[in-house]
Amino acid sequence: MSLFVFGAFMLLQENLQHFLTGLGDQIRINAYLEKGLGTSDVQSLGVRIKTFPEVERARHISQEQAWLDFSAALGAQSSLLDGLPRDALPSSFEILLKPAYRDGPVVEDLANRLKKEKGITAVEYPQEWIDRLSLVVLAVQWTKWFLGGVLFMAAFFIAGSTVKLAILARKDEIEIMQLVGASEELIQAPFVLEGMIQGIAAGAVSVVGLWSLFRFLDRQVASSVGLFGASAQLQFLDLKSIALLLAIGWLLGAAGSLFALRRFVRTWKS
Amino acid sequence: MIQLFHVTKTYPPKSQALTDVHLEIGKGEFVFLAGPSGAGKTTLLKLLFREEEPTEGRILIDGKNITRLNSRGIARLRREIGLVFQEFKLLPRLSALENVALAAEVVGMPRRESQTKAYQLLREIGLRDRYDAKPLTLSGGEQQRVAIARALVNDPLIVLADEPTGNLDAEAADETMRLFLKIRENGTTILIASHDLELIKRYGSRVIALRQGRVADDLHRVQQEGSVG
Repeated sequence: MSLFVFGAFMLLQENLQHFLTGLGDQIRINAYLEKGLGTSDVQSLGVRIKTFPEVERARHISQEQAWLDFSAALGAQSSLLDGLPRDALPSSFEILLKPAYRDGPVVEDLANRLKKEKGITAVEYPQEWIDRLSLVVLAVQWTKWFLGGVLFMAAFFIAGSTVKLAILARKDEIEIMQLVGASEELIQAPFVLEGMIQGIAAGAVSVVGLWSLFRFLDRQVASSVGLFGASAQLQFLDLKSIALLLAIGWLLGAAGSLFALRRFVRTWKS
Repeated sequence: MIQLFHVTKTYPPKSQALTDVHLEIGKGEFVFLAGPSGAGKTTLLKLLFREEEPTEGRILIDGKNITRLNSRGIARLRREIGLVFQEFKLLPRLSALENVALAAEVVGMPRRESQTKAYQLLREIGLRDRYDAKPLTLSGGEQQRVAIARALVNDPLIVLADEPTGNLDAEAADETMRLFLKIRENGTTILIASHDLELIKRYGSRVIALRQGRVADDLHRVQQEGSVG
């Protein structure tokens, strides 16, 4: 059960991360250019911007394009622009950041450096949006570690208790083995092995349970979050995460049984 | 073979089970540890197979100090000691043969070899036809003989028996004692804790009497062959 809950949390975290990565694509810096900048100047500025390590893509938006985009954004109200000259809006570079750099302070620092570039008059970026996004990512990361820790402990003791029952059932056998001079390792080995097998089996059952849950949610929820586009599509745990879940089960089973066995033998001897 | 130097065992908080016990038992001796319940017989045996650690004093087995041992050392010590208990301590899910062979297997003897040796021992103690019987289908005397075979399977230097005839009728008790005497002929040291005075009178060549955790008497006498057979 603990592994299932832990796995469910991994699933949630992976999907949330995926979702946030998708939203991160919308974090863009707009660098507005001086009026009357020549084509070669614009081109060299574009090349210069792309040399920044944080920048994934930089797209030049001409004054004409800016006008068209704005007009399209206004939709039915585009008539408001009637009477204004077509070069009323400045040309700009729309800069998309690499995922690793979509973080509040990094974006602010890059914006400050861009402002110092010759030919750029102003830099705009969604400060509040970035801050919130960073906060959500941070909260997810911390919750993951906190909940992960609590669940590890729970699974550890549950595995220990399960093995304790097996130990109790074979108390006489352990005692006899001790009396005839069996080594500690030989006595512990079958219980640790049993713990490992149970741990892996619990991990496998959790993966199957999570897959069923995922299929159910995928059908039920996908349509309601469809407005977020592709980034909101649910994703199942990747192979690495499944292997991690099985490995955690294996490790918890082994450690839990060893812990229970040592505690049991100590209590029994005293 | 067994030496105890001023051994004291105290259980917390202040229960003194043994006080200043000084003993020497030679190789191949057949010794009874006598005394009423609570005299310290079982505690003394437990110190010898290191189920318990002495509070004070020193214990040597075959010249080796066993007073302070880690778990590995305890396991090694027990491979040189055969243990027999009043309640037999056999595993009910295993056959007589498997119970005996288990003791050899856990110390590393290959399965085939341990089973052959177990079968030989069962044959020697008169259980050839019952080797595949489960302990609960055997009589008390037969179960104790299986337990003795298990104690012998690793060729121990010493056999320690705690009230081995306590759950047996007179006939089975006699059979068991005769078996111990036979084992002694191979040079194995036998130490039997018992409060059965009749049995001690009949079989004891040396009797160490414990009273309130102290050695009260240490009597040596010549074995009367007639009383044994």
